Amino acid sequence: MDLDHKGLNGQIINDQIMNKNITDRFQWKDRLLGLILPVALLFAWQGLVNLKLYSDLILVPPLKVVGTLVYLAGTGELTTHILISLQRVLTGFLIGASSGFLLGLLMGLSATINRSLGPFIKALKQVPEFAWMPMIILVFGMDELAKDVFIAIGAFYPMVFNTYQGVSGVPHKYQELARVFDFKNIRFLQKVVLPSALPSILTGLRLSIGLSWMFVVGAELFGTESGIGYMMYSGREMFQIDVVIAGLVVIGAIGFIMNALLKVVENRVLVWNVSVEGGQG
Amino acid sequence: MSKLKGVIEIRNLSKSFVVDNDPLQILKNINVTFSSGEFVSIIGSSGCGKTTLLRIMLGLESDYEGEALLDGEPIVGPGLNRGIVFQDHRLLPWLTVTENIAFGLDKLDRKEKKHVVSEHIKLVGLNGFEHAYPSQLSGGMAQRVAIARALANRPEILLLDEPLGALDALTRIHMQKELERIWQLEKITMIMVTHDVDEAIYLSDKVVIMSSRPGVINKIIDIPFSRPRDRASSEFIHIKAQILKEFHLGTEYPFAYAI
Repeated sequence: MDLDHKGLNGQIINDQIMNKNITDRFQWKDRLLGLILPVALLFAWQGLVNLKLYSDLILVPPLKVVGTLVYLAGTGELTTHILISLQRVLTGFLIGASSGFLLGLLMGLSATINRSLGPFIKALKQVPEFAWMPMIILVFGMDELAKDVFIAIGAFYPMVFNTYQGVSGVPHKYQELARVFDFKNIRFLQKVVLPSALPSILTGLRLSIGLSWMFVVGAELFGTESGIGYMMYSGREMFQIDVVIAGLVVIGAIGFIMNALLKVVENRVLVWNVSVEGGQG
Repeated sequence: MSKLKGVIEIRNLSKSFVVDNDPLQILKNINVTFSSGEFVSIIGSSGCGKTTLLRIMLGLESDYEGEALLDGEPIVGPGLNRGIVFQDHRLLPWLTVTENIAFGLDKLDRKEKKHVVSEHIKLVGLNGFEHAYPSQLSGGMAQRVAIARALANRPEILLLDEPLGALDALTRIHMQKELERIWQLEKITMIMVTHDVDEAIYLSDKVVIMSSRPGVINKIIDIPFSRPRDRASSEFIHIKAQILKEFHLGTEYPFAYAI
């Protein structure tokens, strides 16, 4: 039969694997490049400390922050705060992202629902996240539910808009294909709409969990005695700048790790999607 | 007596679209019968309504005058008894070759599904690519998968809308041979829309020639030669000249080149 065809295409597949290796290597170089600025800042920080222009209380040495981190981790205090914050993130995210997904799905499937809800949701999105806080405290008080709602609002928007975009953007040619194969309702949703919308939905998910993590610190501004945000506010009140900076480092690190993990999952799930491999950042 | 399957009859069919509030007649008084097991090509310049005619047979277009009958029954909507291969392969990018071929096989159980898929992978010669994604395939291979997907449901009729139009010339000739082989194996009615006169003559039992504005059938030409056909034979060139003449493209002395 047509051996030359297979040879040709075997070649194409090999080329793709090779290209992937090349991009992997470049990514390593990029990563090293990304380390230059933080390392330089660290040296500058230590240099300023060495000049002894300010008291150690105001300009905390980097090693003191590391020491504080190790100490807080050792007492278990840090882990407790992180776990409580993560739990709040998870609850708020689940509420916000699932309602966002559901609404985005309905808006994507029905033009009527989109026309009746879309403008209102877009208008609501213009309200800055922290402007909700007084309202939330008024309605929900200061307890856990208030924090969950605050986080959920942040998690809601990226999910609703990205899901809508993915679901409403199913190419017409695939819709036609589904008609030819006589796929209706649930099967159409399951076999065509959701897979086609998946890249967009996963982007929404990643943005949504990222925002949840950002807003948990804000949510811990009020009415709580636990969580990584609380740890930092109490550190500020007691003028423990090392604790505040340790908190910043932890928040940044966890956010970075969550984003990276979700990106790995995304690439794994969307292995068919060539545009993902090209790197949308 | 069992009735022959895969027969499409088009009777006095006319169709108009509304463009800028004016009705535009796409098809006018079309009469043609596609017999069981026949390979028929429909050729014509762009805008002659040949793709619309195919979509009517597929069941994607309703709202026309006249009749479109499949095995004596009016065509109402798409159905699994008609398979389609589009010009763009239209494979789902998130499914592998295997999963794409199994796309319409929901009603079968796992074992049957596996059997049907492997049978069709063999039929189109894609062994070894079962787990490749469409983005990893060349145009010709993707179109083979599309053909396998369309045939996996065992349709009575395979409709082909310029199936080889996006391929390069050499792959195209190769795929024409493959289509002929598959048609001879499957023994079902195949109706193909194409721009390519050579392709139509090479593959078809008869060629339906259409012209545009409004789309009408100019002529239906039977091609009775034995297969496989030789594109350089005098009978091939004679028929080609006859068809090109329908498009006012014939040379004045076609046989000067043929002998």
